[in-house]
Amino acid sequence: MEQQARGYAVFSFFGARHRGFSYINPFHARYLFSYERLFDKIGGEVTDMETKKTMQELLALLRTEPSINEQIVHWKTIEEKDAVTGPIPETLHPHIKQALQDRGVSSLYSHQLSAFQTAQHSHSFVAVTPTASGKTLCYNLPVLQEIAHNPDSRALYLFPTKALAQDQKAEINEFIDAIGLDIKSYTYDGDTPANIRQVVRKAGNVVMTNPDMLHSAILPHHTKWVSLFENLKYIVIDELHTYRGVFGSHVANVIRRLKRICSFYGSQPIFICTSATIANPKELAEKLTGSAMELINNNGAPSGKKHFIFYNPPIVNKPLNVRKSATLEARDLASQFLKNKIQTIVFARSRVRVEILLTYLQELAKKEFGMKSIQGYRGGYLPTQRRAIEKGLRNGEIMGVVSTNALELGVDIGQLHACILTGYPGSIASAWQQAGRAGRRQDESVVIMVASSSPMDQYIIQQPEYFFDRSPESARINPDNLIILVDHVKCGAYELPFQEGDSFGGVELEEILEFLTDEQVLHHQGKRYFWMNDSFPAHNISLRSASQENVVIVDQSDVANVKIIGEMDRFSSMTLLHEEAIYLHQGIQYQVEKLDYEEKKAFVREVDVDYFTDANLAVSLKVLEIDKNTKMKDQERAYGEVTVNAMATIFKKIKFETHENVGSGPIHLPEEELHTSATWLEFEREQLHNVSESSIEQGLIGVANVFRHVAPLFVMCDPSDLHVVPQIKAVHSGKPAIFLYDRYPGGIGLSENVYKIWDTVIHEAYHVIQSCPCEAGCPSCTGTMLEGENAKVLALKLLDAVRRDEHVDAIQTESL
Amino acid sequence: MSMQSKLNRFKKHLVTEKNKAEPLVEFTPQRQAIQHHEAWKSLQTAPYFYDEEYCLVREVHYPVDQRWGNYSFKELESVMEAWMKSGDIHPLSSHNLSPADLLFFDTETTGLSGGAGNTIFLLGHSQVEEEQVKVKQYFLPGPGSEIAMYHYFLTQVKELKNLVTYNGKSFDWPQVKTRHTLIRDFVPSLPAFGHFDLLHGSRRLWKQSLESVRLSVVEKEILGVEREHDTPGYLAPMLYFQYLKENDPELVKGVMIHNEWDVLSLITLYIHISKILQGSSAVTSIEQYESARWYESAGQFGVALQKYTEMMNGEGSPSKMAKKAAAALYKKMKQEHLAVPLWQELCQNSSMENDEEPFVELAKWHEHQEKDFERALYYAEAAYGIWKRKKRLLKRTEVKEKAAFDKRIQRLRKKCEIT
Repeated sequence: MEQQARGYAVFSFFGARHRGFSYINPFHARYLFSYERLFDKIGGEVTDMETKKTMQELLALLRTEPSINEQIVHWKTIEEKDAVTGPIPETLHPHIKQALQDRGVSSLYSHQLSAFQTAQHSHSFVAVTPTASGKTLCYNLPVLQEIAHNPDSRALYLFPTKALAQDQKAEINEFIDAIGLDIKSYTYDGDTPANIRQVVRKAGNVVMTNPDMLHSAILPHHTKWVSLFENLKYIVIDELHTYRGVFGSHVANVIRRLKRICSFYGSQPIFICTSATIANPKELAEKLTGSAMELINNNGAPSGKKHFIFYNPPIVNKPLNVRKSATLEARDLASQFLKNKIQTIVFARSRVRVEILLTYLQELAKKEFGMKSIQGYRGGYLPTQRRAIEKGLRNGEIMGVVSTNALELGVDIGQLHACILTGYPGSIASAWQQAGRAGRRQDESVVIMVASSSPMDQYIIQQPEYFFDRSPESARINPDNLIILVDHVKCGAYELPFQEGDSFGGVELEEILEFLTDEQVLHHQGKRYFWMNDSFPAHNISLRSASQENVVIVDQSDVANVKIIGEMDRFSSMTLLHEEAIYLHQGIQYQVEKLDYEEKKAFVREVDVDYFTDANLAVSLKVLEIDKNTKMKDQERAYGEVTVNAMATIFKKIKFETHENVGSGPIHLPEEELHTSATWLEFEREQLHNVSESSIEQGLIGVANVFRHVAPLFVMCDPSDLHVVPQIKAVHSGKPAIFLYDRYPGGIGLSENVYKIWDTVIHEAYHVIQSCPCEAGCPSCTGTMLEGENAKVLALKLLDAVRRDEHVDAIQTESL
Repeated sequence: MSMQSKLNRFKKHLVTEKNKAEPLVEFTPQRQAIQHHEAWKSLQTAPYFYDEEYCLVREVHYPVDQRWGNYSFKELESVMEAWMKSGDIHPLSSHNLSPADLLFFDTETTGLSGGAGNTIFLLGHSQVEEEQVKVKQYFLPGPGSEIAMYHYFLTQVKELKNLVTYNGKSFDWPQVKTRHTLIRDFVPSLPAFGHFDLLHGSRRLWKQSLESVRLSVVEKEILGVEREHDTPGYLAPMLYFQYLKENDPELVKGVMIHNEWDVLSLITLYIHISKILQGSSAVTSIEQYESARWYESAGQFGVALQKYTEMMNGEGSPSKMAKKAAAALYKKMKQEHLAVPLWQELCQNSSMENDEEPFVELAKWHEHQEKDFERALYYAEAAYGIWKRKKRLLKRTEVKEKAAFDKRIQRLRKKCEIT
């Protein structure tokens, strides 16, 4: 069944919704762009200011100013916490001990001590370490201790990004200098000059790199790294929590390959992982490394007083329950801090939101501090640009930064005092990490979460206990996803031949090896399978992006100085970089002149127009095979394999202020096909005999809108990883159904998890709709509706039909 | 769903590696019966067994006075004698070596990347002995037989003194090292030896005159080697993969011949480049100029100057290039007084209108050495005049150069006023 979009209600249905402008709810978007008036007001205040307010004065203002205070639905003060410490271990090498003492360190935090002792017993471990808790000593102490006693030994550090590796190199080298031993530590990444590479391979005691480099440059060339692999004692995996979903599943396989190579050269390294707070650090670490892990979570670091404020923007349209734009409210709150010279970070959920907020705040700051004092930060900016921003934040030249979750990672930007979350970031773990950006050291700090009108945000903000009492989500990976697994079996075979009967991280390989032999990639001789192809498999496999290849964005505004300004994954490019699309980068508008889909290049030129573009993606979905199902008399729930076809069809030009449609055009791009796993909920038509077809369709759309926001809460994923498609007549059964599918070939276990917790998802969706104060459906629950229909009633009717009476405890079911 | 059917379903998402699927022929090597024994035999190839595995070794002989391109193999001996006699230090000089010490070496591999999964399936080398030229090739009958192949190869080249290759420094030998690392516990260690990589020299000498310095192009355009029915190198991996399925020696025969011709051409190439360097062959002016520069970069200033000087008598731009280069070299050797006449000649030459450099040099010489500021100013202004007429591409260098001229001219004017 092919579904075509009509109007906004359906728009939000299809794949495009999580990308870019389609995020912006049509109802509050109109407020988004009427900001000039507000600027005047704030601008006036700024110039009137004589003295700067302190943090305490601002907190008092938040409590007393009625226009602000009335919108605060929850104010939690997290008291400061004292340090828990113990003496430096006697066994620590005297030079290292001296270096610590010289830096004024006379004792270690409890978690650092546990880490050291666990490593001394040769056990792998994962340490849960909040921001600024001295996590680097958790790995640097055991590693340096080992090298100090055995100068031949080596350690491999893996950081999720190049930038983090470079930060850490600077830090460890300072420490090494203080120790005064001949220990060599290097980063090894795409920027390492060729003449240094040789030295790193032969003599680096500590090699700091990222999984991509390990995958495509180190493992396939392992014969050049003999001395590293022969003497590898420790493998450090920092920011463990970032290795989830598709990326984590890839990295788990890279580590399987790494362990194969280590055992070939006769080493058995110990794994040391550090992670932000998630529900299942031990499980994740064990799944990622394939090794037994000890859990260290006795954090002994002190922390300052922190105010966590939930802010719900005022309702501006009662019948529709439309609230004022979170983006505007975040801007106003941020400006309160910025104009008082309090360094502030503002998180936004999409690239486009970052750009819009940036434009607002730069405009605001222009008079007082200059444009440059407020910067944007997101994926798609080039590395040098990012480095400059990080530095500016550390040395205080930059007063404010607007970021996507790119700054959740441990990139060192120093200490900020205020943090504003524009909307709930999608997971508890992520929210705490963003909040951790404020008050890294022992200061009083404030975090304000501004809710948007989305069902997910409204659910969270109205139930603070959900957020504060619940443990953060689990991070899930599925290293055995067949697509990912086969990719890495190929790379593994390139590195070393497989033997008959070999397993790979516990997976039996025989069928895969036979398949690859039939495909003329491997050659089976004797008892072994040899790589026998002229390609270099790691180059064709990217760990990061689902569609595997990125589109490079080329700015040709200045013909004599054409430059690359960013990149984007291929799937997103269908709706954001099609020809004539308006692309925003650092607040500047560009028009796409040509999208070369074959060569993966988008050519853009700077423009100044008063509209943005919104593209429509038509999606069709077919069930291929049902793997699991539960049949009841009134419904059926199933899990299985599906094929999804997506094609960008048309785009619209939408005027900023008025949201008028001022033009449209076709998009000519090939169809993308996706085989993946999905779970679906099927309704019995008979149960709904008194409801008309069009009402059922409206109800399905409403329910799907809520599922889209609720389901990711319970399987810890980005809403963009799990897509929702309602069908009035599902192709395989002819019945009304709602599908949730994984946005990665072969699936990464998200929909499978939803299948296990359908009762919770249905229960919570029902609760969200029922408790929403709107009258007939609103953007915060079922989305917008056609005239004359009560979406709320229709959606509840559908959910009532499939709700089961058993008591459902949302929190417990989640851990299934 | 079974794994097999899933794999087939996901086929589209899996990165494909280009080859077409065809059924495999089971290949079980047995000590007694080598498949296609007769066909191999007619290719002068015989098995070499080691443990349970074997490799195929091919040996072909040529008379030493046979011509290969513009030279006969035995001329290797005379160029090596010339190296010995001259005593010139040069990266390609083979003094202290005898002809049989040079191992002309080339490999055929299953891919172009330098990683652990790229297998060498053919090692070939030639060697010039007193009576004959011996070509020896080691062929891998299947990927599981590497130990046999390297065991035999390394036993044979134990005494290896000097390799001669084409791009072997960055490709072939590192790849041998990679394969060796994988089986190093079972085979002798790699010998230490000298290494002449002729790609480097070919680039110096012919980069400007040839569209590409691939060995096949150099052979045809420079060495006079004509190949008939050659199997191009890029087909080698495909033919080998096909061979692994069918085991038919006919499939790789062409690759083996190709490799044989490569290692023979390397002998001719070494003779030719040596002759150019030794000045015992007719050379183009570019070849002469480039070999002088090559000696210069090897620190052999005497030889370099001699070669530049030989070119100076001629007409036109080669002579000017030689004068400029020689003058620059004299300056580098702190013998500027020898450079001055060359710069003067260059300045007088009317076709030098486009080059301000000798004028600048003379301005410097007169200012700093002779303290003749009037004359220095004259040259500086003349240089500026020439420079101004030229078109420049880069704005930034233009600004910088102009500033340097202005500064020099102003300083000289001041000095002229004072004295």
